[in-house]
Amino acid sequence: MKSKISALMDGELMDGELAEPMRALREEGEALEAWRTYHLISDSLRDTRILSSGFSARFSERLALEPTVLSPVSIPQQAAKRPAYRAPLSIAASLCAVSLVGWLAFQSFGPDGQQIAQNKKTLEAAKSQLLAAVPMPGGVNDYLLAHQNYSPRNTLQGVAPYVRTVSDSARPR
Amino acid sequence: MRAIAFLLLLVPAYALPQPQDAQDAAAWLKKIYRASQTLSYSGTFVYRQGDRSESSRITRVVDAGGDVEKLEALDGVRREVVRNGEEVKCYLPDSKVVKVDRRSIHPSFPALLPAQSASLAEQYAVTKEETARIAGYDCQAIALKPRDEFRYGYKLWADTVTGMLLKARIVNEKGEAVEEFTFTQLSIGGNIGRAKVRSAFAGESRRWRVENAGVVPANLARSGWTVNAGIPGFQKVIEVKRQLRQSQRVSQIVYSDGLAAVSIFIEPLEMRREPVHPGLSSMGAVNIFTRELANHVVTVVGEAPPKTVRQIADTVEFHRPQ
Repeated sequence: MKSKISALMDGELMDGELAEPMRALREEGEALEAWRTYHLISDSLRDTRILSSGFSARFSERLALEPTVLSPVSIPQQAAKRPAYRAPLSIAASLCAVSLVGWLAFQSFGPDGQQIAQNKKTLEAAKSQLLAAVPMPGGVNDYLLAHQNYSPRNTLQGVAPYVRTVSDSARPR
Repeated sequence: MRAIAFLLLLVPAYALPQPQDAQDAAAWLKKIYRASQTLSYSGTFVYRQGDRSESSRITRVVDAGGDVEKLEALDGVRREVVRNGEEVKCYLPDSKVVKVDRRSIHPSFPALLPAQSASLAEQYAVTKEETARIAGYDCQAIALKPRDEFRYGYKLWADTVTGMLLKARIVNEKGEAVEEFTFTQLSIGGNIGRAKVRSAFAGESRRWRVENAGVVPANLARSGWTVNAGIPGFQKVIEVKRQLRQSQRVSQIVYSDGLAAVSIFIEPLEMRREPVHPGLSSMGAVNIFTRELANHVVTVVGEAPPKTVRQIADTVEFHRPQ
């Protein structure tokens, strides 16, 4: 199905072939996930601004926290034949590169438990850093206002805690 | 130590021997609650969070026609919040927007009613502290120390005569203040008059854009969403669908331990115009944890430590309804 989604994105499908991938997309499962991922990939290849500043930094942080998958990846033959399958292929290639780096890194640690423990510590540090690193969500005041209406604090302080929702400091940066 | 904390959770608070001091402190909480329901007042308070502080004016009128409250920001961008009964209007003159929402009085609120004070005591040790003078009033301090690391601590200062809350501080596990409200000037009672609680923008706002939350009850489990927060003392108090910014169908579930509340917002990813930043952000006592799940954005907002909002966010699950 993923290859069909990719072909759909590239405008390669004939009219008669559209029904199946469209139905899969409506089901919001793997197909839609693939659709979003492929668009993200093409956005990043074309440097679309929706990715916003700091994307690569955030991506690196998150990637550092992901477990490295060491299972071998085979590239479907059908994909290799198609010239229009560029975007997913490049992702597969970069995933292979990442796996390789991960594999090398893992190998160099070997059975030395101390180094693994050290690595774990670094991961934990990265994790806690990641925890505080995210800017306020867009429209944070709307979330705060919606939340404040149900806070038991209202029964102690009246509308005073609403100051948070309209506070200057609450404005999205 | 952990075993003792665990045992404390198992024993209902009313079964614990309550020293005179604790009973006294609980009576003070009720006094503060009564004051917040019955008094008319007008004053100026400072809200402090980290190295920022802002002044606001607050006015409350209670009369035969009900109760109305108004909050005006005195620093920075002009804005006002007016609560009339359960209706809350937020006036934003610079963007010419009025946000209309409803405050909810759920059966399990307010936590400080006598029936709920026992469950509050399961989560917080309530003690009577020192006396202090604030904005010209002699005040009694009451501390609520959390019995675990899932909630913040509170210190409240109330007028010894009326019970009016003059100062409130939220502290983290290190005892540092994360947020503080303090009245710098306050007059209680007297004939304030309804004109004082009317928004300065009541007239011109008729030409502004109105954003109505349009809150309706909902059942999220039926649409496949479950939350298994598993945090001691936090119970689900409400579950609704509402409008939030561009999105017409945002789900909101609220959990509360009687003093702190945590909201879970679930909205379709396709409605978002701005990028999603998964992770934690903090503002005073409010922590916000954002994650993506099944083509939705899950945003958990609460006056609770980062650990709590994160744990709640992590237990949100989606299973396609059969």
